[in-house]
Amino acid sequence: MVDHEMWGSTPARGRTDRLVAAVVWLAATVVTAVFLWILADLLRHGAGQISWTFLTAAPASAGRAGGIGPILVSTAWILAVCLAVALPLGLGTAVLLAELTSAEDAFGRLVRRSLDVLAGVPSIVFGLFGNALFCVYLGLGFSILSGGLTLACMVLPILIRSAEEGLRAVPDEYRLGGAALGLSRGKILLHLLLPAAVPGLIVGVVLGFGRAIAETAALIFTSGYVDRMPGSVHDSGRALSIHIYDLGVNIPGGETNAYATALVLVAILLLTNTAASLLGDRLRGRHAES
Amino acid sequence: MTRTILSLASLSLATLAALLLVTAGCRPASSSQSASRLVLTGSSTVAPLAAEIGKRFEASSGIRVDVQTGGSSRGLADARQGLADIGMASRALEAGEEDLASFTIARDGICVIVHRDNPVARLSDAQVVEIFTGRIADWGAVGGAPGPVTVVNKAEGRSTLELFLKHFGIDNRQVRASVVIGDNEQGIKTVAGQAGAVGYVSIGAAEHAAARGVPIKLLPMRSVAATTANVRGGRYPLARPLNLVTLGEPKEPARRFIDFARSEAVHDLVEDLSLVPALESLAAGEASRPSPTES
Repeated sequence: MVDHEMWGSTPARGRTDRLVAAVVWLAATVVTAVFLWILADLLRHGAGQISWTFLTAAPASAGRAGGIGPILVSTAWILAVCLAVALPLGLGTAVLLAELTSAEDAFGRLVRRSLDVLAGVPSIVFGLFGNALFCVYLGLGFSILSGGLTLACMVLPILIRSAEEGLRAVPDEYRLGGAALGLSRGKILLHLLLPAAVPGLIVGVVLGFGRAIAETAALIFTSGYVDRMPGSVHDSGRALSIHIYDLGVNIPGGETNAYATALVLVAILLLTNTAASLLGDRLRGRHAES
Repeated sequence: MTRTILSLASLSLATLAALLLVTAGCRPASSSQSASRLVLTGSSTVAPLAAEIGKRFEASSGIRVDVQTGGSSRGLADARQGLADIGMASRALEAGEEDLASFTIARDGICVIVHRDNPVARLSDAQVVEIFTGRIADWGAVGGAPGPVTVVNKAEGRSTLELFLKHFGIDNRQVRASVVIGDNEQGIKTVAGQAGAVGYVSIGAAEHAAARGVPIKLLPMRSVAATTANVRGGRYPLARPLNLVTLGEPKEPARRFIDFARSEAVHDLVEDLSLVPALESLAAGEASRPSPTES
């Protein structure tokens, strides 16, 4: 077997194995170390600032004093708009790609190709596109809505590709078994395939969420710079990432609060990732039982 | 069957379409026509100041002020197209921009900075030119410790770059830059991290950073120390105006906002951002022509 050949135990192979193992471990350690370093840096500079007041108060003195209350609210609204639009669209497209088209189908190939191109487009291009389409052409102006819709365009490729992978990973026996029981394709999809594809979907949502919450360039020209508490989705609202960027590069003495805000952003990312993986485990467990 | 899934897909498309229609239908009145709302776009240097002034203006007048960034060029373009009520530009208007009216709300000086450990204490204008055009590539040639010079230049389109080049009569193609940076804070961090680096940034930002202990040194220009006090007094030779710009004469409520932004009621906000209030420097005999037609 391949395994046997690769992991054979002659002295030369033993040395190669140890070398490969060392390189692999080193790579993994470096990756983790970079993350821990960033986290430690953020904690060291920002943790002292974090308080309930910081999380709820409005920014003052161009963000150097006060808190990030309105910015957290704006960010949440932008993400809500983004996911509300991207999830149904993404799931629909993924179902089409995975269940209704074969790998050779011309239309499926076209959709996949466009998604791959979209995934590689720099976010500033999405920002300028979003500004031209949503803000100016559709007249939405600088608003949370424009920002959320722009982000939706940006995370769709990630969402669709992960959901499609999730669906494709479901064994064909499920489909055949369902068909043998006389279930319609819709029922098979809803009751068998989608629950089984949940892990893939959750990966997609987590990746998409991460890309969306970290986004600066796509938002600066769409949801904008205003740090007032938003009254509706038609108001301009500053996202966390833009606040960090502005404090970091534009405001003399804005660094401390930039660190604190970045720490909040990373904490949100960690929390959502953990919550999503817990949710995934539970849904998978329930699916396995039923 | 297949139809169920297809309808699922079309449902999601319909969601988007419906959302777009609804939002397009109930969109708020266009910014420029609204009497109770002002939209400002433009220079990222002016934006934090304008946003703070806007908050104070909002509290006293009830008129909402939305400030967006994007750079001076964008501010001018948006003011021209009516996408913004007021544009923000961190430079004076040039020939060919007479359709716009500009109002200076603050001034900002630009200074050459080096690492704190660099023994060079001053550079003549000619030396600055020779360093930035690559004719001097070693600190030994200008009285420093021998070692290569790292030239930190600003990115194309930055008004600090335009002003610096114009002041020294250099063409950007002649600049032999090792590092190209965007914002002031980035320039300060780059120079602070490299013993042989030389760059140029806003005096306010550099003063603030040096006071915080960042290892940089502000070099005097034509023997005038690079301080905000000297910018204020009009003695410092390289300063730029931070302007509010409107298409033609400003209408209400833009007029009221501009008057407020140029009044003494906001001087503390200007100084808080390490900038120099405009009227004061003009009163002190600044060489530039008086606003509002300053160009």
